[in-house]
This record gives sequence, C-alpha cells and structure tokens, in this order.
Amino acid sequence: MATAVALPLQGREWRRFGRLLVGNPGSVRRPLAFLVVAVIASTIASSSFLTLGNLKSLLTSSSFLIVLACGEAFVVLMGMIDLGVESMLSCAGMLAAWLLVFEGLPGWLSFLCAMVFGAVVGSLVGMIVTRVRVPSFVVTLGTYWGLLGIALLFNGGNYIAPSEGSHVVFTFGGIAGTSFGVSNLVFMMLGVVVAAQLVLSYTPVGLWVRAVGSNEQAGKAVGIPTRNLKVTAFVVSGSLAALAGVMIAAWQVSIYPTSGSGMSLQAIAGVILGGVPFMGGRGTVVGAAIGALVIGIINDVIVLVGLSSNYEYIFVAAVLVLAGLQARGGEFVK
Amino acid sequence: MSEQAQTTQIQVPASGGTPTGKGLPSEALSGGAPGATGQRDVPLLSVRGVSKYFGPVTAVDNVDLDIYPQEVLGLIGDNGAGKSTFLSLLTGYNRADQGSFLYKGTPVTITSPRESRNKLRIEMIYQQLQLARDLTVWENLFLGEELRLWGFVMDRRTMRKQAASVLERLHSKVRPNDLLGSLSGGEQQVVAIGRAVLFERDIILMDEPTAAISAAKVEDLLALVRELKALGKSVILVSHRLEDILAVADRVAVLVLGKLHCVVPNKGLSVASLVHLMFGGSTEAVADEQLLAAARWQARHGAEGG
Repeated sequence: MATAVALPLQGREWRRFGRLLVGNPGSVRRPLAFLVVAVIASTIASSSFLTLGNLKSLLTSSSFLIVLACGEAFVVLMGMIDLGVESMLSCAGMLAAWLLVFEGLPGWLSFLCAMVFGAVVGSLVGMIVTRVRVPSFVVTLGTYWGLLGIALLFNGGNYIAPSEGSHVVFTFGGIAGTSFGVSNLVFMMLGVVVAAQLVLSYTPVGLWVRAVGSNEQAGKAVGIPTRNLKVTAFVVSGSLAALAGVMIAAWQVSIYPTSGSGMSLQAIAGVILGGVPFMGGRGTVVGAAIGALVIGIINDVIVLVGLSSNYEYIFVAAVLVLAGLQARGGEFVK
Repeated sequence: MSEQAQTTQIQVPASGGTPTGKGLPSEALSGGAPGATGQRDVPLLSVRGVSKYFGPVTAVDNVDLDIYPQEVLGLIGDNGAGKSTFLSLLTGYNRADQGSFLYKGTPVTITSPRESRNKLRIEMIYQQLQLARDLTVWENLFLGEELRLWGFVMDRRTMRKQAASVLERLHSKVRPNDLLGSLSGGEQQVVAIGRAVLFERDIILMDEPTAAISAAKVEDLLALVRELKALGKSVILVSHRLEDILAVADRVAVLVLGKLHCVVPNKGLSVASLVHLMFGGSTEAVADEQLLAAARWQARHGAEGG
C-alpha cells in the first residue's frame, strides 16, 4: 500500500516560495536571480573573477552594452524593436571621431554632434514607424544596414584614431578618465540606468510607456499621445546608442566602422533576460541593465577560464532560452 | 413622413394618472421623454441633428437626443444600427460630420477624447475594457490623468490612497496594488467604472458591459449601474441583453439603421416590445402594451389603496 509522503512544500506553497524568490514576470528579482547564479558560477569557474580589478574591468567593458540595453528597453517595453543600435553606435562613434580628428572640432562638440545625430535618426525612425506605419523590425533593419554603410564611408572603411604625435586628445571631454579609481564610463552608465529607471517608475511618461506596451488602445482611449511616445522611445534609443558609440571610441582611443558588431542582438538579449517580454508592457530598465551585465559576465568568464571567445554565443543562447522560459511562465498566485 | 416625425416618443405617467400620447409624433427635437424620473429641467447633454458618415455609409443619421441628470438611458438597436458610432461621437473618438451638442444648454464641440472627458465629464467604458493588464489597479485608474508633484513626478502615495477609497465606495475587495491581469472580468469592470467615480464624471457611457462577464456577475454589474445613478451620475447603457436594459434603464432610446427610431420610458416594457422596436416596429403597439401595463398597475394599486 502506497504511503503518502509529506513534502516540506507542496503545489501552491512552491509557487508562493517561487514568487517570493523571483517575483512576477517583469519583476527585477528575476534578472537579479540570474545575476546571482552567474556570479556564483563564475566564481566557481575562476577564482580571479571576484577580484576588485576584474570587477572594475567587467563593469567598464560592459558599460556600452548596458547603455545600449537601456535605450532598447524603452523600445521593447512599447512592443517594438530596434535592430539598428549597433550600427548607430558605430556610426555615431565614427562621426564624433571624424569631427574631432579630421574637422578639428573640440571633443565636447564632437560628442554633442554625435548625440544630436543619434536623436535625429531616432526621431526619423519613429516617424516612419508611427506615421507611415512600417513595422519597427523592417525600419530598424534598414537603419542597421544604412548606418553601417555611412560608418564605412567616414574613413573609407578604415578606423579613426589620433595620429601619433598629434595634439588631439581622444577623450571627448574627459569621459574616458577615472574618478575614485573607477572609469568615468561606469559612472556614466550608472547615471543612465538610474535616470532611465526613475523616468520609468516615477513619471507619467514612464507609466504611459508601459501602458502603451501593455494595451495601446487603452492608452489611446485615455488620450495618451501614443505616436509621439513611440517616436520618443526611438529618440532615446538612438541617443543612447550614440552615447555608447562615443564611450567606446573614448575607451579604445579609436573607433572602427564595425565596433558595434553583434551588439544589437546582445542588447535585445539583455532586455529579454532583464524580464521585459517581447510584447512589452512590463519590466524595468534596471532589469535590462542586469541582463546586459549577465551577458558581460559570460564574456568575461570565458576569457578568465581561457576558453575561446567562440563559446560566448553558445552560453548566451543557453541563458536566453532560460530567460525565455521564465518570461513564458504565468503570474504566481496572489 | 419627415425626418422629425420618424422619431417618436411615448408618454406614460411615472405614477398613477391616465396614460397619454399614444404613439404621438415627437413635437420637440429632443427625442427625450420627460416625466420618467422626475428631474427634467435642463438636459445635461443635448444632441441635435448629429450625423456621421463613413464614405457612402451613413452610420448615424440626424439624431436628436437629450441625456438628463441622474438617469440611466438604455440605447438599443440591431447590429449596425449605429450605437457604438453614436457613443464614439460623444467620446470624441470620432467627430460628427453634422449637428451640434449642448452641454447644460451651452453649445459645445467634442473634438477629442480628452476634451470629452475633461470638459464634458464623459467617461466611456468599452465592450473590450480599455485597461492595461500589466499595470496595477491604481495605475489603470489614474492612467492619463496622474496626480503630480512639481509637475512631472507622479504622486504615487496619494493616487494609491484615492484608488483605495474609490474601490471601497464601489464595495470592491480589489486592492490598489493588485495587477490588473490577475483580476476577474467582473473585478476589471469595477476598475473601469472606478475611473468614472474617481474623476467625478457626470455621464458614463457603457458599451455592452455585460458581454464579457459571467452570468453570475451580471447582477453585480447592474447593481453598480444603480450605484452610479445613486451617486448622481447619468449612464448611457448599450446592451444586446435587453433584460439588462429593462432592469436598470429609466428610458430606452432605439436606433434603427442610424436613425433614432423612438425614445420610450421604461414603464411596462417587455423584451418582446423592445425587439419589436429594434426592427423598426410601430410604437403604437408598444404604447398599447404600456397602457395595458399602466392600467394593470393602476388597478392593482387602486385595489390595494381601496
């Protein structure tokens, strides 16, 4: 005769425990759980992972992707996609470098021009998506190729860097320096994440972004300017991609037309890992930033354990499938 | 027959008295039927000769209608009769091609949903509830009209507090921080209605509110409609469930192929008589039915009184 075994937790209790641990879909607790697992696994894999030097280096090298993911998060939260951020990163970085090196503009002005370029292209993308009603996937696939083409034209397909002995300083207003022993790029990245999350959580615009992603008709019914809001999301995405381009140029002291290669999909993966579903409506910028950081950790630990960087894609794919599975899961019980 | 004469009102006394005006052509353009609920001075909103065309199709054709304070007006008609289009003209979602609107006797225009809500204090509750399932209850309640600090920061604390107060007024167990997607259809209806109460709207338009909820919850919703009336609101209720209309409406307006066929007080009406009117049937037969019902009522109460 079978005997009933009393398990410590059963059915509903398990779900309650799960909710307590990782929250509902969209909760920042889910990417945090991924981060904790990634940190533990990386520490086990390499003893040098949890060293101050490595963590600083990890944050600096991940800062570009995190900034890209923050912009992408606004677009995905509204149920759209921006495939062109990596080309914008390269193109804006090349523009800033070209203005600085070839046109002799001051670093801060080159930086500003690149940001304005990102915002203008973002607004054009937004206008085509909302006014002409071309799906964002198609329009941004266009900017992906178009901006890459423009980036290649700046210096005949070659990289741009200050020539040896040149008086040109490639810091764009000192953004590549350090403060308190940490790269300024990390502070910039943190500033972007905090500002974006504050907008999303505490301003009506942030609420409207999530509302439009959740139910666009509901937004329209209460008078939210949905089209302008979508344009704004692409402006934010374009501007932050341009910022990441200048950041990467300042960090590398050079910029290639293909510097952003592969980063669009990585940024989108970070956003999904961060708990923002593909249809939008819920999730956080902090979550997207953590998702991007997890991808950065995967890259970092592959180097630390001496694996070929070719393995990166397989690891990212595995984590992304896991993220997709958790996003698919329904809400836990109340 | 002229356009005006096609709109018919039937007058039946609210209580006792001799029923009059059997199938009379409308004298006024109002299309209303004064006398049903007692407070009939100035209409809250008057619609005058309003038409809406979609290309060659006339969706709403020269409609005149008055909406009075604190009344429930049932709006019925067959599919394609123009009910939803008519409501969309009141909400500003569509603009009327012809005609005018009077708000408390003053001519007004309705050009946008925002204007309709803020200027005319009209709230629309759609058949497919226009709520965001990924937002919390309080976020849905205040969406588009958030309370702010310093002009740009949401006053989340006050909004949560006010949301809790409104939900309590509507006798709901829903909590402000609940995720909308976790609520039942009936609870979501409460949230949609809560917006109207929260922002002190005067007129609430409800398009098929019982279509998406279980039969067991219909009575709860009708109780909410009565509650809204008790709170001083006017409700225009569109429903294919004619028994719901009969249960709560003070008057019933019937649209047939975009035209206002008639407006009848909800006295002695039956589902059969409403179906008769919905398909363009004569108001005289309905008036006969109403007269009969009024006579029965009078006889019963007379006998009780005697």
